[in-house]
Amino acid sequence: MNPETAILWAAAVATLGVYTILYRENPISRLFEHIFVGLSAGYLIVFIWAQNLEGKWWNPMIHERKWYWVFAPIIGLLFYFIYSRRFLWLARLVMGLFFGTAAGYFFREFFPIYSPQVYACFKPLRADATIGWADVILHNWLFAIILLTVMSYFFFSIPHEGRFGRTLGRSALLGRWFLMIAFGAMFGNTVMARISLFIGRVQFLLNEWLGSFLPWFAQRGP
Amino acid sequence: MTERATGFWERFQQIPRYYIYLLLAAVVIWQILFPMPLPIAPSRATQGVYDAIAAVPDDKLILISTDWDASTQAETGPQTEALIHACLQNHKRFAIMNLQPPMGVKLANDIAERVAAEYGAEYGVDWCNWGYKYGFDNVLIAMAKNIPKTIGDDFYGDPVTDLPMMKGVQDISSIGLVIEITGLAAITEYWIGLIQGVYGTPFASAYTAVMAPGYYPFLDSDQMKGMLVGAKGAAEMEVLVHRPARATVIMNVQSWAHVLIIVLIIVGNLGYLFARTRGRQRA
Amino acid sequence: MWASLQSALQPAPTAAALVRNLILSVAGSVLLLAVLHRFLGPRGRRWLIAFVTFIGGLYLGLEYFLPVRKQILWPTGIPNPNPERAANLLTPGIEPVGIMLSVIGAFTVGLGVYSLCQVHGRNVAQRRAGWHNSLAFFLAMLAMLIFGLWAHYLPKLDTPSETKPWAESVYELLFNGLFMPLQAATFSLLAFYIASAAYRAFRIRTAEAALMMAAAFIVMIGQVPIGAWLTSALPTTGTVAFFRLEALGEWVMSWLNTPAQRGIVFGIAIGALAMSLRIWLSLERGTFFSEQG
Repeated sequence: MNPETAILWAAAVATLGVYTILYRENPISRLFEHIFVGLSAGYLIVFIWAQNLEGKWWNPMIHERKWYWVFAPIIGLLFYFIYSRRFLWLARLVMGLFFGTAAGYFFREFFPIYSPQVYACFKPLRADATIGWADVILHNWLFAIILLTVMSYFFFSIPHEGRFGRTLGRSALLGRWFLMIAFGAMFGNTVMARISLFIGRVQFLLNEWLGSFLPWFAQRGP
Repeated sequence: MTERATGFWERFQQIPRYYIYLLLAAVVIWQILFPMPLPIAPSRATQGVYDAIAAVPDDKLILISTDWDASTQAETGPQTEALIHACLQNHKRFAIMNLQPPMGVKLANDIAERVAAEYGAEYGVDWCNWGYKYGFDNVLIAMAKNIPKTIGDDFYGDPVTDLPMMKGVQDISSIGLVIEITGLAAITEYWIGLIQGVYGTPFASAYTAVMAPGYYPFLDSDQMKGMLVGAKGAAEMEVLVHRPARATVIMNVQSWAHVLIIVLIIVGNLGYLFARTRGRQRA
Repeated sequence: MWASLQSALQPAPTAAALVRNLILSVAGSVLLLAVLHRFLGPRGRRWLIAFVTFIGGLYLGLEYFLPVRKQILWPTGIPNPNPERAANLLTPGIEPVGIMLSVIGAFTVGLGVYSLCQVHGRNVAQRRAGWHNSLAFFLAMLAMLIFGLWAHYLPKLDTPSETKPWAESVYELLFNGLFMPLQAATFSLLAFYIASAAYRAFRIRTAEAALMMAAAFIVMIGQVPIGAWLTSALPTTGTVAFFRLEALGEWVMSWLNTPAQRGIVFGIAIGALAMSLRIWLSLERGTFFSEQG
């Protein structure tokens, strides 16, 4: 058996093995589950070493004699004190560094990400030479109304009582309806995504695996 | 009579799950074996990605961040393939990289090797693979200042500085377009917050259909030049590059699977509505 | 400051100097940690963690917000080493800090693997129910580790037509024959579950549910080719074109979904900013933060 055929058969057995869980929980699917986790762990270590640590840490430290790279594992290995009650605080020390930098990154990213989002809210609400009334109403007015009502839905600081509060409450209700429409759109997309994954696997089983020994199936492929 | 009728409508709501599974499998298998091809027209979002690729100056690279793995391969795999076709057809040099999960870098490399061979494109000259680089924002912020040092070795373990196409590539100004292909939320925010929003590097994306709705605001604000939405976006890109392939088949099959799901929802609701009406009448 | 730091961090001139520096650095670091552990009480440790957290965030935030100059580094007046790019005093540190943090982070790879090995090692050692699955976990991990690294160190083939070394074939088998299809198949199960869930749970009980369903139907049909085919009789331009299913689906996504999502985005932005501030200033409370000492 040549390597390509072995790969096809192994992949088909693995796929069908996983699908046995659709009938019910069983030893075959459990076994494949564990094999997957094992392969995943092994692969992660290989790629962390081969494409990160070797080129960016080991080679500079050993071959370029940049001795200060020794501090990277010293700091990185502090994470492993998470398993020790006595030295746990050292793990928290290095975690604190990463939490702090994560916060720092968010401060940097805040304006580049969100200020264009704010600018883009300001759309023309009157027709002119470049945009007709139909587009203004069906797009820009609608956009403004949905944005404001949805934001009012998330505004919890004022109780929905009194004149202003009741108006806010009505706006929040409308916002909830618009959110439902957005969630419906998300649901539609989710269905599309999930079905795609299954179609991808069936394409493999029919066109590639069965097609490897029954040419008729291969001919039905793209 | 009422009892029997109520039972009938209740049964509408209680189709065993195995039947639903089998129906779905049957529809998918039927459409793969006996396809009914339907036309696919590119959307504005997909056209935006294609135009962004075509607009990249010849002296700059396209950076394709393939942050996906087998869990989303049916969508992101064809997206990657179609995008590589678009790059090579437009004679643009591109680099692949991966921030997470590491499986994506090998899957994307296999695709790139196959597609590049079709065009006679050479590794290191027309395209390269920077490999999996751990560290998300740490990688991006350093890469913006110094690409060779941040990347270190390529996918095959050789220093990226040895690759002919990397001559003169110093920092983010050497990149003419970043395309993010992913099924993971939040990576886009890193690209926009640390690269696109700061250095003005054009950015486009290809997402799984699940996460795409959440990123339409970034398309509207022009922070993204375009967006491929799941297998639909991939199929539309296949149309633009005149290479109908996997995604085109997926979308045709998808049509009938969606019809099935809509029918199932309607059947379930009919059962629910009639059973409720009968229940009220009985009460 | 950067110049003096750079001169202190020069590469070792000889291999012997490298070994000496490495040993001294490790010994010094261990000594420093031991001293900190011995002499810092819970309060001191908490303060140190808070300080490190603060400095981490401060550096990255300040580098971005401080004014930049092309010729001199603000605010010291030191010349900018790269006058083509505007910079401030902290900018030269960004690249080494980014690379250093990504390398430090890469060392965490063993954390999850260690946990997995602990759990499965116990299963195998104590012959618990399903221990053979745990054994399969170890075998799979070791196989991928060995053949993955082996394939990595094999010389690259000059032409694709050359026969691959057997170690690389085994690696390909593990990757393309098991790892990839197992993950793809596992996630494709979601198609069955979503079909079943849609049928069982998607009920029009309220007006909101009806709206959600209407949007879902339009998107589900509008996004696939059959939607375009169903309304292909309608013109592609003019007012009626709006009612073509693909146009309607696109309109729902772009003009109903987008503003609602932007409202959510704004909420997330403000929430994340507040959360980042709390973490940065060590004001956050919870399992990790309350027990920092």
